Amino acid sequence: MIKVRDKIECCDFLVVGGGMGGLEAAIAAASGGADVIVAEKHNTLRSGCGANGNDHFLCYIPEIHGEDMELVLREVGNTLDGGPWVDIDLTRVLLQHTKEVVDRWESYGINMRPTGKYVFEGHSLPGQQLYHLKFDGKKQKGCLTQAAKDAGARLMNHVLINEILVKDGRVAGAIGVDISEEEPEMVLFQCKAAILCAGMGLRLYPQQNPTYMFNLPGCPADVGSGHSMALRAGAKLVNIDIPNVHAGPKYFMRGGKGTWIGISSTIDGKPVTPYVTGKPSRATGDVTADVWPSVYLDKMLDGTGPVFMNCTELDDDDVEYMRWAFDCEGIGSIFEYFDQRGIDIQKEMIEFGVFNCTMNNVGVEINEKAESSLPGLYAAGNQVGNVRGNLAGAAVFGMLAGRSAAEYVKTVAHQSIEDIPLVEEKKALFSAIWDRVDGAHWKEPASTLQQIMNDYAPALKPRTENLFRVCIKYLADLKKLCYTELMAENSHEFMRCLEVLDQIDLGEAVAVTGRHRKESRGRHQRADYKFTDLTLNNKFMVVHKDGAGEYHMEYRPRHMR
Amino acid sequence: MPPIIDRNKCVACGFCAEICPVDCLYLDKAAKKLIVRYGDECWHCGACKQDCPKGAITMRYPLSHMMLSFPPDKEVAK
Repeated sequence: MIKVRDKIECCDFLVVGGGMGGLEAAIAAASGGADVIVAEKHNTLRSGCGANGNDHFLCYIPEIHGEDMELVLREVGNTLDGGPWVDIDLTRVLLQHTKEVVDRWESYGINMRPTGKYVFEGHSLPGQQLYHLKFDGKKQKGCLTQAAKDAGARLMNHVLINEILVKDGRVAGAIGVDISEEEPEMVLFQCKAAILCAGMGLRLYPQQNPTYMFNLPGCPADVGSGHSMALRAGAKLVNIDIPNVHAGPKYFMRGGKGTWIGISSTIDGKPVTPYVTGKPSRATGDVTADVWPSVYLDKMLDGTGPVFMNCTELDDDDVEYMRWAFDCEGIGSIFEYFDQRGIDIQKEMIEFGVFNCTMNNVGVEINEKAESSLPGLYAAGNQVGNVRGNLAGAAVFGMLAGRSAAEYVKTVAHQSIEDIPLVEEKKALFSAIWDRVDGAHWKEPASTLQQIMNDYAPALKPRTENLFRVCIKYLADLKKLCYTELMAENSHEFMRCLEVLDQIDLGEAVAVTGRHRKESRGRHQRADYKFTDLTLNNKFMVVHKDGAGEYHMEYRPRHMR
Repeated sequence: MPPIIDRNKCVACGFCAEICPVDCLYLDKAAKKLIVRYGDECWHCGACKQDCPKGAITMRYPLSHMMLSFPPDKEVAK
């Protein structure tokens, strides 16, 4: 039997995931008087995609950018923080609060002005308004962790959350697992509100080197569990039918392409886009990887690849600056690799490739308070589907969620959770996995899942009705086998088992929604529906599951203003 | 697989295992030994190396993660 903690952990507001969004939510809610618990699968000091740092913070500062925020909003819309899959009203809310968060972060001790003044660089088209504040995020997780403690939030490290408990149509608690010891321990939480900040959905699709599942652009712990929990709880998800792709170095997959000072070039060193010619600048680098991330695949397929990141025009000062910037971003491993292996980027270009779908910036639908469609449930960060902003988006909507939740929890009472049937169902499932002596190691279904997703709900190849149909069937088969065969020898493996089950749920939702969109749009390319249905322009597909497990899809207008 | 622990420097304080973002390190409390238990799950973020109070950790980048470098082909450019 799975060990179950006697005590039910009780709080007003449960934060699921101690990344940027989660810690900001915790700080804001605790400052507003709420009793807050942060449940983090690893340790908030070094967890998630911001574990080692970040160096670009989307930010609008009126004294620098001018009083007309709309000009910045328009520019954001053109680049990676905007695009066709965000609600404009939420992007406006994001921009309105970025300076406030920058000031808060400075107060926590995060170095937002490493050169002494505000400097804007990267992720932008040359000659246009720059809006990414260059900062040094190396210490960000430690500073945010301390700020959350100072605000009075209780941090529970090595505790994963597996289910949001719902009663009478609103959040009542959660089911977690403490993995700090060798034997996992099921933990029940009673809360009035919760926020999902579990990051993007990596490991659902295979990446460039499928043998090494953890060779990934973002933190491999972020597997889309937040997406799955929201779906199972009945909250609405948005845009998960549209695959996102990303780009970066091969075969050492690492995000942070905006920190490279180089030009995407063909084998002769010539740029593949007209944005930057000659020597790349620190200010803009090359935005190609942001605005045309599939160029590295597209040009392989049309016979004009490969495409490289070309830094050979840089002088020594620029190279040293880039080394420093990579450290700020938390990707210093790349330069350490160059040093260890004797790669001189002033002489050799680095080949870039496309990263397969990471389920980033698709997921829970939120409003201007970061509320989901389920009362008491909030979301922020990479698992949100209708606003981006990446790091800044996580921090701003985390903060807004925390503030909103602090008020919400004053208006509702705690509900008992022991009688919610899901508690016993999960106890039985956990016990079955933990008690099994001979069975399937988590990597068995994890690799099969990646194959199924890549073959039948692909992000980089055409999709069809038949592919989606079999995908849904194959995933159901895989899930059934997992229920009867998964086993774990310790809490680490137990965590991985639960991750796989979450991923299968998310994969099913991707296939169901992809099947529903009977047109081609973005990376959702249907071989059987090659046209783009113009009546669906500026419409988002919203999906939720009802209590019986049935999917419901609808298109709703994109918020354009 | 990475990271590499210098046994002469490591005091088995366990802090690297505590903060590893993917839980690939393990402190065997009975044996007072830090173990790279799931090396193939390492993200190569280097947090363990940065936070080790004794400087006992170095990173090794596996050949599976080889970076692909190539000099600009000036002949083609002509």
